[in-house]
Amino acid sequence: MNQVGVIMRAKLLMAGHAIASVRHESKLKVGVIGISVVALWVGALLLFLEGLDWLTRFGGGIGSIIVVRMLGVLGMVVFFMLIFSNVLVSFSTLYRSREVNYLVQAPMSFRSFFLARFVECVAFSSWAFAFIGSPVIIAFGITNDAPPGFYLASLLYFLPFVVIPSALGAMITLVLARIFPRLKMRTMALFGCFVILMFFVYWQRSFDAAQISEDSLLPAILDVTAQTQSALLPSHWAARGMLAASDGEYREALFSFGLLASNALMVLWLAANLAGRIFYPGWSGLAGQDRTRIRLPGRGILGRLDGLLAHVPNPVRALVVKDVKLFWRDPAQWSQFVIFFGIMALYIANLRNARGQLQQEFWRSWIACLNIGACTLILATLTSRFVFPLVSLEGRRFWILGLAPLSFHRLVWQKFWLSVATTSVFTVGLAVLSAYILRLELVYFALSVYSVLITNFGLAGLAVGLGTLFPNFQEDNPARIVSGMGGTLNFILSVGYIGFVVGAQTLILQWRVLNLFRSEQAFYVALGCVVAFVTALSVVSTIVPMRLGLKNLRLMEF
Amino acid sequence: MIRTENLSKKFGDTHAVENLNLQIEAGEFFCFLGPNGAGKTTTIKMLTGLLHPTGGRALLGGHDIQQQPIEAKKIIGYVPDSPFLYEKLTGREFMRFVAGLYRMPENGYMENTARLLEMFEIHTVADQLIEDYSHGMRQKLSFASCFLHEPKIVIVDEPWVGLDPKNIRFVKNFLRQKTREGVTVFMSTHTLSIAQEIADRIGIIHNGRLLHMGTVPQIMSLAEKPGSLEDVFLELTQDNDA
Repeated sequence: MNQVGVIMRAKLLMAGHAIASVRHESKLKVGVIGISVVALWVGALLLFLEGLDWLTRFGGGIGSIIVVRMLGVLGMVVFFMLIFSNVLVSFSTLYRSREVNYLVQAPMSFRSFFLARFVECVAFSSWAFAFIGSPVIIAFGITNDAPPGFYLASLLYFLPFVVIPSALGAMITLVLARIFPRLKMRTMALFGCFVILMFFVYWQRSFDAAQISEDSLLPAILDVTAQTQSALLPSHWAARGMLAASDGEYREALFSFGLLASNALMVLWLAANLAGRIFYPGWSGLAGQDRTRIRLPGRGILGRLDGLLAHVPNPVRALVVKDVKLFWRDPAQWSQFVIFFGIMALYIANLRNARGQLQQEFWRSWIACLNIGACTLILATLTSRFVFPLVSLEGRRFWILGLAPLSFHRLVWQKFWLSVATTSVFTVGLAVLSAYILRLELVYFALSVYSVLITNFGLAGLAVGLGTLFPNFQEDNPARIVSGMGGTLNFILSVGYIGFVVGAQTLILQWRVLNLFRSEQAFYVALGCVVAFVTALSVVSTIVPMRLGLKNLRLMEF
Repeated sequence: MIRTENLSKKFGDTHAVENLNLQIEAGEFFCFLGPNGAGKTTTIKMLTGLLHPTGGRALLGGHDIQQQPIEAKKIIGYVPDSPFLYEKLTGREFMRFVAGLYRMPENGYMENTARLLEMFEIHTVADQLIEDYSHGMRQKLSFASCFLHEPKIVIVDEPWVGLDPKNIRFVKNFLRQKTREGVTVFMSTHTLSIAQEIADRIGIIHNGRLLHMGTVPQIMSLAEKPGSLEDVFLELTQDNDA
């Protein structure tokens, strides 16, 4: 067996052992996660079925064109997201993973080393796409009465489609790692900010073009999505092939598969050869960087944190200062935080497009509800990505906290309050700003801000509680901690919780628009009930996971 | 200062530690010896509260580590064999963090930190990120942070890994000095020559059971043929295997 095969076999054995070890986990835990994951997948399938069915029937024929273009948009977005995520994943897998030192000293070529590690990159970066993408494909197949060949073709397209962006992402990382040790951090940061700025300017222009009126809906959509139909995009090849398969045109489908597969092999060959040439100089350059990184006390905001938080008693202050410093000194953490900021900015910038619809009471109430949904979903993403891994990140350092005269109760609640204090600043600010831009009337304004404020507590409780209930102390990479079973469950429950919060409010606001309340007073009574329900739900979402998590931590051994 | 009463730990059907009874006095230097997998680290983890015993109890300074963990932990200092620290903090920031956890007053923290960093010769790198430290520097920082809150009991798990001969001598003398000041040191080690040199008493654990405990001369007298502690240790543990 060749060396790549040997490594792959070892990885498969490890995966098998990991799966087998599920037998030793609590049956309740595995059951809850299993049922939640299946429910999420089925829910997504039903949602896409309903949505695609509605779109297909929309405007007599126009809907089908829109569906095809939406698939094109989805494919293109996934393609570029896979490139981006592979830049990050391949950096940790090729350069920073604990196995790298062992494999680099082994008598194997760097080309083989790259191929063995690349499989892991593909698996890590694309499993979520397979999970979320499969209900879309199946829903498309069902609504279009596609033959069985369509599903087989979709399955065949998956691997070459994910290999191309993964290899492109890995090549970008190989080149960056080769150049990076020679560049100063400040230059890199400025370059990164410039790239992110350009990205948002580009999207902003695209969205500006999408300011559409009802009579020019189709041309506007076709115009905005024209770039997804470029013959140079692998996502377009995949979409074209799948559409052909859904119509039973297997020759065309086979051609698209051949196009995808041959390009995937070519890009993989290029990446492997590039790795053979520049991986080692890059790795060795990174390993040989100047390691004198001095952080003087009292300099910069982080250096002054202790002073700024002087009124917070120890040991809470020590824990907060530590958590904040660890976060801001880890580029993998703050760079993703910056991207969230970009998404928030993009959202705010595009709210003005909705102003045109604000003349009608119907749309005003809908936009108010959707605004709460958008703000809380951004918050759920923040807590799932950054708050959930906080306890796990203590990991192998738990001997420090475990030995300190500090109760686990205080430790876990400190993480909860840190989360609430940090995320509230951003999300309540976002809620106020978006409500102001949308010129919502006072009752909608107050409801939006209150909902976002209270969900900060509920979502922080879920993230910290479940992060303590399902910790992963073996992993130092927060992105990997989040992608585990506990992280997935946290995100599912967070979305479910938001669904209840937004759903309850949408219900009474829509009833008001439809004049289903006997009087204004009845509306305010119902509003009070909804606020009470949301508050109670948030308290439950905070207390229950936190208690379960704390109980788990007290029983845990290190 | 340290007392264990029938302290036991089972992992499934395996007895990692079985009915361990120890009594270690204040100011005593106790070395805990045993082959790999004998139960040394499990014992240490139960003493520090990182593992829950399946039987018996451990008392530190009269406090049950399971029933009164906060009181017990206030007087313990621990140095693990692999010092995983917060990589993105500087050495000085880490010391401040530990001081915060132990609620040390600002003056006490400043004074002790400066003294310990200098004593362990890491004051010159104190403002560098820990991720840039060598293994030896991490170990020294781990020692410095252990003594920051002036513990009465110090539990050390194989402390010599990564230390150069000069630092081994320094740590040895430092720990010895601390016992003279009344600090109890419980040290697990494989370096038998050091144990022979500095231990007041030695305990030998094998297959989870305490085989023998006594002063160095008492342990040496157990051997059939005279020799070093290493010879005696090998003979005692080999006999048991047979």
